[in-house]
Amino acid sequence: MMVLTDPALRGLALDGYLASAGHGLRAALRDPGAIIPVIEASGLRGLGGAGFPAHRKWAAVAAAPGPGRWIIANGNEDEPGTFKDRFLLAETPHQVIEGALVAAVAVRAAQVALYVNPRDAATVAGLRDAAAQWAAHPLLAAVSAAVGEAVTLRVVESSGLYIGGEETAAVAAVQGGFPFPSLKPPFPAQHGVHGAPTLVTNVETLAQAGHILEKGADWYRGLGIGDAAGTKLFSLSGDVLRPGLHELPMGTSLRSLVFDHGGGMLGGRGFKAVFTGGPSNTLLTERDLDVAMDFDSLRARGSRLGTGAMIVVGEGTSILRKTAEYVAFFAASSCGQCPPCKVGTFQVARLLERLEAGSGGPGDLEALRNLAALLPGSGRCGLVDGAATVLASSLATFPAEYQRALR
Amino acid sequence: MIAWDQALAAPRDPAPPLPSDRDALLRGFHPDHAPGAMERLRVGVSAGQPCPAALADLLQSNALVEDVDIAGRAMREAEVLVLGGGGAGCIAALTAARDGARVLLVTKLRMGDGNTVMAEGGIQAAVGAEDSLQRHYEDTLRAGHFRADKALVAAMVRDGPASIRWLIQQGMGFDLEEGEDRIGGHLLRKKPGGATAARLLSFRDYTGLELMRVIREAVLLTPGITVLERHPVVELLTDPHGRCAGAVLLELGRREIVLARAGAVVLATGGAGRLHLNGFPTSNHYGATADGLVLAYRLGAGLREVESFQYHPTGIAWPPHLAGTLISEAARAAGGLLFNGLGQRFVDELAPRDVVAAAILREIAEGRAAAREGCEGVLLDTPGLEAANPGILAKRLVTLSHLAHRAGFDPAREPFLIRPTLHYQNGGIAIDAEGRTAVPGLFCAGEASGGLHGLNRLMGNALLELVAFGRRAGAAAVEAARGDRPRGVGLTHLAAWERGLVAAGLPLDRRAPMVFPPYGNVDLAAMLRQRVAA
Repeated sequence: MMVLTDPALRGLALDGYLASAGHGLRAALRDPGAIIPVIEASGLRGLGGAGFPAHRKWAAVAAAPGPGRWIIANGNEDEPGTFKDRFLLAETPHQVIEGALVAAVAVRAAQVALYVNPRDAATVAGLRDAAAQWAAHPLLAAVSAAVGEAVTLRVVESSGLYIGGEETAAVAAVQGGFPFPSLKPPFPAQHGVHGAPTLVTNVETLAQAGHILEKGADWYRGLGIGDAAGTKLFSLSGDVLRPGLHELPMGTSLRSLVFDHGGGMLGGRGFKAVFTGGPSNTLLTERDLDVAMDFDSLRARGSRLGTGAMIVVGEGTSILRKTAEYVAFFAASSCGQCPPCKVGTFQVARLLERLEAGSGGPGDLEALRNLAALLPGSGRCGLVDGAATVLASSLATFPAEYQRALR
Repeated sequence: MIAWDQALAAPRDPAPPLPSDRDALLRGFHPDHAPGAMERLRVGVSAGQPCPAALADLLQSNALVEDVDIAGRAMREAEVLVLGGGGAGCIAALTAARDGARVLLVTKLRMGDGNTVMAEGGIQAAVGAEDSLQRHYEDTLRAGHFRADKALVAAMVRDGPASIRWLIQQGMGFDLEEGEDRIGGHLLRKKPGGATAARLLSFRDYTGLELMRVIREAVLLTPGITVLERHPVVELLTDPHGRCAGAVLLELGRREIVLARAGAVVLATGGAGRLHLNGFPTSNHYGATADGLVLAYRLGAGLREVESFQYHPTGIAWPPHLAGTLISEAARAAGGLLFNGLGQRFVDELAPRDVVAAAILREIAEGRAAAREGCEGVLLDTPGLEAANPGILAKRLVTLSHLAHRAGFDPAREPFLIRPTLHYQNGGIAIDAEGRTAVPGLFCAGEASGGLHGLNRLMGNALLELVAFGRRAGAAAVEAARGDRPRGVGLTHLAAWERGLVAAGLPLDRRAPMVFPPYGNVDLAAMLRQRVAA
């Protein structure tokens, strides 16, 4: 199954790309009014993790009044275990830009920002090169004509930090400010970059849009399994034989991902759990192996698909150590605006580190349980919720591992 | 094969041996060249290199521990972690501590239980008026068949004179020239096998023991060094970027896993004699099981010349319970001759060790060896040595006389029956002149490292190497340890290693490091099973 990962889409040369691709943008230019209805019919969801229906966000921006509108193609990606956006940006920059321009036509936005993690300098340089090629290409002039003013394509380097990927933080960063999340509402769709309506969308979502416009909503829906639509990039890692990026139909079972595409458990170890991206959700366990990996099915099981990162844990790997590692990541990633998040994630990380280093006692475990119950919902963005969820889930699912670590 | 009585009775002819083609001798009789002795590594950064099969099995094994085993375990902290309590490890620890680092020195057995104390012949350093660093450099390269790393050899020989001065400052004694006053005397220099000048400095025939005596005391008296004995390392720890950040230790006393986190790790775990390659006995101590090689290789450090081992010519052949025990080269350096069962000399006794060993094996293979109670070998003529230098056995060759006493004979009357013994790992973990391996944060010194000796080591260069590179690695480790405390320390490298094993079609159930030889009284597997059950 290759939509986003089709080798024909790779490469830095725009002419080469447009020779075989770019039909989605051309279709969008032929009938700009049809873009959002087609996206709606396709069932495309926000693939950065939230799974929010794409057309509703796009329609909100399209309907919002005001000039100076923006598109932010969000490629900040910094969470452990997720490595799909960096693939799209590094290998298929034109696919991402095409999708962003489709969105620009749909919502009449003339300012397009490719908001990317500067971790890999070569990727950033490649994107700047790609953007420059578009600026000189007649197709961009056609886009400008459809939007009604000259479209500007720019590459904006993010802070590289996890929190910078939150949509209001992304808006702040593109404005040149500190990448801090702010309270919602107002949502960026109404009040984004410099107060203008702004569409903040993950690069994987945008990349899908071009293909949907080219081949149609029905084709896209048909790619998924059951009610789920399209394909998804799964970042598979952990105790599997073949970790890596797998593009699979939305709704593929976890068992198929791990045992067919991932080559099975490394060294034939028993399967224990999966941390889903990233990694801020309820753990999937053996009883979830046959659940369809799409937004709705996983939500029905009390978990989330997230970014599509699947960090597989086998017998032989400690849930306590993994949880401590991820909570330490969230603690280090907290922007510090909301005291419960700043202090809470720090304390959870400290307590887990004590347990992990063999110096924790029953009181520490009790404190962790209290914090897991206390912290959710206490921040203006979802960071603290993610940390609390992964903690609570590991405590509930693997209590023996915590007990064993007590002094 | 000639019976012992006949061999003793044969008149020994001191005429020089006939010259023989060294290359043909080595190819024909050195164990490194035995058919089927080598296989090629199939996994890891040095895949494709030849390696003895028994060592390759260990290098291409799965880890003893996994992530769950280190969860909830006590973590010790240090700036510099030194693995190994022999000469190189102790000197690295001492150097690092004197440079201001908090040092944790861990050792599988006890401090000093290693091969350093068995170094009998001496230590090379170009300190003579007629000698030079250049000659030492050239001798070392030539003996190693020009396979040694020139930069490393240059660093070592350059450090030679300073290393001797440093050892004297630590309190180590050296033999002085006859008649010299103890203060202001000149160091006694002997000509080691394979060298072009008298360059071997010694303390009687237990130079390594004397070295270890003063270094051990210095370690114990230096604040800032914590010593953990009986704590074998079973795996190295990494941070998420692949930097070496500590080690997983097995505390033998309580049979528990202990973790040590450090900003830099110096690996000084010695060699591999207890693998008994090609069925040879060994002069090595009980712990020489290649653990450091296995762990560093798994982490991504390259190896070099691991196909090359040194078989010391003069190991004891009889009595069998002492088989493999070393008789110092000092005996030959002092003029001791070798005779076959027919009373003929068959090799220049001061030729490089690989040549002498191959010549002895040729005598055995071609039926000219002497046999005593079924043990075959050639004669080391200690009676002739004593006759030419009266009193030498009692004064200079103390260890040799002690050994004869343990074997139950008088060396002034009866010769030793000797044959080559597995003695030294010529290659090892590839390092640079500061002791850095290819893995950030991981340093290596001593016998575990490779590149100093090429395909054959000169006598006296092992002690010099461990002093020179122990000090270099210790100092470099302190530099590397400055900065943030390592975070996210774990066993992340093991998954990639296991995938490599699967891809190469190698079994996953073979576990290493060996830690103790299989014939010992420590059942590591049982210990680990018990740990998992706990």
